[in-house]
Parts: sequence; structure tokens; C-alpha cells
Amino acid sequence: MKKQNIEVRDSGLVIEAKDIVKTFYIGEPNELEILHGMSFNVPRGQFVSIVGQSGSGKSTLMNIIGALDRPTSGEYYLDGIDISQTKDKQLSEIRNNKIGFVFQTFNLVARTSALKNVELPLLYAGYSSSERRRRAKELLETVDMAERAGHMPNELSGGQKQRVAIARAMANDPSLILADEPTGALDSRTGRMVMDLFHKLHEEQGKTIVLITHNNELAAETDRIITISDGNIISDSDISSRDAAPPELFRPAPVPVNTEGIIDTSAKAPADGGTAQTQTAAQAAQAPQTPAEDAAPKAPVNEKGDE
Amino acid sequence: MGIWENILLAIEGLKANKMRALLTMLGIIIGISSVIAISTLGQIMEASVLGIFDEQGGSNLVGFGIRQKEDAARDYYYYEDWINVSMIEDVEERFSDEIDAVAIQTDMLQGDIRVRKEDKKAQIYGVNAGYAKQSMTTVNCGRYITPDDCAKNRSICVISDKQAEAMFGSQRGAIGQTVSIKANYGRHGTGLLTDFTVVGVYQYKLPSFLSSMVNVEDWNSEVYVPYTTLIRIMGGDETFWSFNVNMKTGVEPEEFCTKVADYMNNSYYRDNDSYEIYYQTAASQMDMISSILGTVSLVISIIAAISLLVGGIGVMNIMLVSVTERTREIGVRKALGAPNSAIRTQFIVESIVICLIGGLIGIALGFGLGNIAGAVVGTYAAPKVSTVAIAVGFSLAVGVFFGFYPANRAAKLDPIEALRYE
Repeated sequence: MKKQNIEVRDSGLVIEAKDIVKTFYIGEPNELEILHGMSFNVPRGQFVSIVGQSGSGKSTLMNIIGALDRPTSGEYYLDGIDISQTKDKQLSEIRNNKIGFVFQTFNLVARTSALKNVELPLLYAGYSSSERRRRAKELLETVDMAERAGHMPNELSGGQKQRVAIARAMANDPSLILADEPTGALDSRTGRMVMDLFHKLHEEQGKTIVLITHNNELAAETDRIITISDGNIISDSDISSRDAAPPELFRPAPVPVNTEGIIDTSAKAPADGGTAQTQTAAQAAQAPQTPAEDAAPKAPVNEKGDE
Repeated sequence: MGIWENILLAIEGLKANKMRALLTMLGIIIGISSVIAISTLGQIMEASVLGIFDEQGGSNLVGFGIRQKEDAARDYYYYEDWINVSMIEDVEERFSDEIDAVAIQTDMLQGDIRVRKEDKKAQIYGVNAGYAKQSMTTVNCGRYITPDDCAKNRSICVISDKQAEAMFGSQRGAIGQTVSIKANYGRHGTGLLTDFTVVGVYQYKLPSFLSSMVNVEDWNSEVYVPYTTLIRIMGGDETFWSFNVNMKTGVEPEEFCTKVADYMNNSYYRDNDSYEIYYQTAASQMDMISSILGTVSLVISIIAAISLLVGGIGVMNIMLVSVTERTREIGVRKALGAPNSAIRTQFIVESIVICLIGGLIGIALGFGLGNIAGAVVGTYAAPKVSTVAIAVGFSLAVGVFFGFYPANRAAKLDPIEALRYE
């Protein structure tokens, strides 16, 4: 199961993306380029948020980061593995043991208990049933859901479902947790709980987390914000990645500390981070989603941001 | 991912949609149960036919008769064409080393048996001494018809235990009593009322496969008289269509029959332009019955094949529905690292489970139906391992065959599209 003849190079980076282009064919002869060559790196242990409006290419980028899809051109290394060169079978192995998905709509498998849901990635990884059970129980404990292990998804609240989903994402101890609008379908209080859980995983277990959201307030809590628009990275709060972003599009990132040009990955953005953003006129012009987000920061948005 | 997990998963899925699962299985159930029912019935028929042979001397019994030659000059017969007593006696003497008994029997005659001015229906047979052996008749008291009775045209008869009890109160009490017998019709014409003395009482038994089908009144059964006496009363020649032979144990039926038939054809039928002697053994009659059963089985098998095909298409249809319904689940499983092969296996196993459960229900139902039909005949059959194995194999094959396409479709779903599916 673990046997892979995939070339691995260890660079200390979980995500290494170079000039990622994704083109969709929407019937001959038209083709639609969604991502226009994105480059960025995510080092191990970082909590990154990718922010972008609907139609910005966020979902397409997420699919590529999550090894659900391959870039049309460019290079993408996930934990040192060249994703653009792998076959379907290897992609599913990579998804299985390198990535933990957390979805906006939880996506627990229906009529399957919380415990069994958490066992799924372990099942496909080839663990024995007793080992799966033991590990799944442990994981449910870390998300405080141990006493609900036998419950079916329809017997759980949204927040509980998302906690089970996070436990499931952690099952094979992945290199990367990829969370797509994880609080999008939750009210602010349970959304807060879920975010706290991510922070806990990040701080206590040193997990690398990529959070895809269009909620700037949530994004501001993370180490780093990558903003994308129209298939390009328009801002990146991480100075080390600056050279990776197209220079003409680079603007100061919306975290206040970054206006000084100083990177401070450990500090959480203060609650007024969002307000600071709106004060940057250039930022507002470049990223028109920002004021909109600010106008209704607490409103849970249920759309997934599909193209 | 183990097969067992897939099976549990499939069963969970079916439980969630019980009605749909049952309707889906219906085609398989009908197909399998009809095959099982017919094969059970075949087993029962075979057993009951064998039972009849056993009642009549079993595999030692062979029959000789006349039939039209292929190049027959006439399609009608004279009584000269029939087998006469002297031919039978000749055969009996010539082959005495191999013959245990020869049974002669006139046609059955519907008639009346009158006791104390009361008529009761009876079937009257004129038989010889050897008939008791062929029909495996047990004489409860008194004696059976002897060669001497036949030679002297004695007016004696043997009646059944039921008749004896009904008419005379007891079996023993019947011996020596006089009854009047009248044969109503037959090829020998209408008989007159003649007095017969009861010399023996036999143990009455219905042939097993008729026993529960025909509700025959106790007294309404066979009365045996010496064939010579019957022919003398009714008129006509001492000629017969056929006669049966009980061979001695160990005699090879086919060999013996060929020998006897050849001898008779050479000695008596060489100059006959239209008729010849032929023979039947238990085995050849069995073959005939098997071939009839075989035809019936073939027809049922075709029906079963069609219903399995339709059932299979039903399974395929519902599997396609299931795949569509669970598109998102498939997407999630793929995102969690399920390879295409695991998804394919999951759905093929589900299809197999549907078909296997359907098959097992079909097997149970088929044996039930077959044995209900068998109850009419009075015989029961236990499931044959080979039949069950074939039925299970067929259900499995239908499951794999019709499950493959939907399963493959599930396996090939694009995880991104599947995750986005509403």
C-alpha cells in the first residue's frame, strides 16, 4: 500500500507550486484558462489562508493543491512529490496519506457512523479493522466527539459533523490539511469552535493547514494570506514568497504588520485586521471583494464559490 | 479494503432501501425459483416413477408387445396378429432359465360386483398366476390365482382387503363366499352376470403417485379372475397386446429382451406383413419419461434464463440509480483516497449481494413450490447440492455481469465533478 515509485525531494516545503496553469476545454476550439501561472510555496507547519472571490479560480486551485486534479502546465510538488507527473492510482494514494480534506458541506458518508466515517481513510490505507477502530476512537477524542462515535451523520449538528470531518481529515496523519470554507455552513459560534480546533491542531501538532475562504476575518487569523483574483495571486502576506508572485500584481498584503514589510507569522491578526484592510485604497481597488466581505463579515455564506 | 467490509457496506445500503432492494431482486427470485421448482419437480417425478417400477417388480420387469412394422402393409389388425397363449407358453418354456414369472393380463373391464343384491363398481382383470409377482401383490389370506385355475377355467376370484371388509365384514370371512361379477364392456363384448367364489384376499394399495390425487372409495378397486375364465365368459380369443416378464435376478434386461423378441419375431412374425414384437425395459421407459421431463425442463429453463436476463437488467438499472444517488459519496471516498478499484469493487459487491440474496430466496421458494407440487404426487425431494451450487453460481454471475457496468461508471467518476454533484 505504501509502495510508491514516486520521486520525492525534501525541501521542507509542503506545497511548492511553480507557474501553475489550468485550462479547461469548453468545447472546440474554445479553451478557458482559469489559472494563469501561479507560484507560491508553503513551508511545513504554516497555517495559510487562500482568499478569493467566487470565480477567482479558488476552487480550481484547491482541486490542484488537493491532488484531485493536475495542472495543465507548471510544476506542483506536494511534500516533495511531483503531482503533475503522477497517475490516477498514485493520486488517490497521495490524497489518502498526504492530504486531509475538510469540506464546507462536511461530506460525511450517509448512513455510516461517525466512527466509520473517520475509519474511511484508514480503510483505504489498508489498516486492519482493530487498528482502524483504535485510531478512529483516538481521533474522535481529539475533536471531543468520542461519545458520539456511534451516531449517524443525520443525528449530528453541523458543528459536530465538521468536527468528525476534521478527525477524518487527520486520520492518516497527513502532511496537509486542506479546508474548503470549513465554517461556511455553520453559524458564527460553531464556526468559531471549528476555527479554534484548526488553531489547536496547528499549534499543538504543528499541522500544515491551507484554509480556503472568502471571509477575511477568518483569513486574518492565519499566519499568511494569499489573495487570488481572476486566476492570479494578487497579494501574499508572506515576504519569502514575494518573488514567486507576479511582481506587477504584488501589493501589500491586508495584514497590518505587513505594511511595514515585516513578516510576523506567529502573531494572529488582531480583530481589527479587517478594518485595517479597508483603509488601504489601493488594496480595495485591487481586491474588490474586500469591502463586500467587510460589509457583512458575520454572515455565513453558503455558496461554495463554484465557477 | 476487504471483501467482508464491502459486503457489510452493501447490506447496510440495501437495508436503507428495503422495498427497492426486494423489487430489484424479484426478477432474480423468479428466475432462480422457477429453475429450482422444475428441477425439484423433476426429481420428484423421477422418484415416483421409479416407485411405480418398484411396485411392479422393479428393474427385473420387462414387457413384450406387438407394434406395426415400419413398412406395414395394413394399418388395421386381425386377432391373428396378437400374441396368443401358446406363444407365451413357448417363450416361458424356452427361456425358463431366465424367466421367473410371466404375467398375462386382459384389458381392464369396468363392471359390477354384486353381493346380497347390491351392486358395487369394480375393475375386473383377467390375469394369470404370474401377475401376482409382477404387481408385487401380497395375499393376506386364502390364495392367489394358480395355473390350475386358468387351465380349468375356474370361476374364482381374488378381491381386495377393503372390498372384503366392506362386503363381508372381515377378510377371512370373505373366503369361500360367492359374489356375482358382471363386466359391462370391453373388446370381448358385454358379459353376463356370473357367480365367482372368493378364494383369496389381497392387500390393496394405490400406486403411490396417485394415492393423494385420486380419492377412490374403499371398495371401488380391482377384482382379479383367471384370464381364461374371463375370456370364456366374455367371448373372444386368448390373444393379447402384450405380456410382461419378471426375469430372474441377475439377468441382463437388454440382452434377454433382444433374445426373446428375436426368437418370437423369427418363429411367429416372420410372415406377418404388418406387425412385429417389440420390448420395453424399465430403463427404456425411464428414458422416455426423462425425455419428456427434459423437454419441460428446457422450456422452463428458457423462461428462467429470460427472467434472469430481465432481472439482471433490473439490477443494472437500480445499480445505475444507486451510483447516481451516491455520486457525492463516491466523490468523498475518492477524495479520502479510495482508488478506482475500491469503488468498482464496492459496487460490484453490492450488485452481487443483491443477486445472491435474490438467488437464495429463489432457491428456498423454488424448493417450496416444487414440494407443494410434489405433495400432490405424494413424494418429496430434498435440495441437491449440485442444483443449489448451480443456482448460487448463476446469481453470482448475474451480479458480476450486470454490476460491472454501473460499478465501472462509479469508478471512473471524476472526483471533482462527483464532489460538486447535488
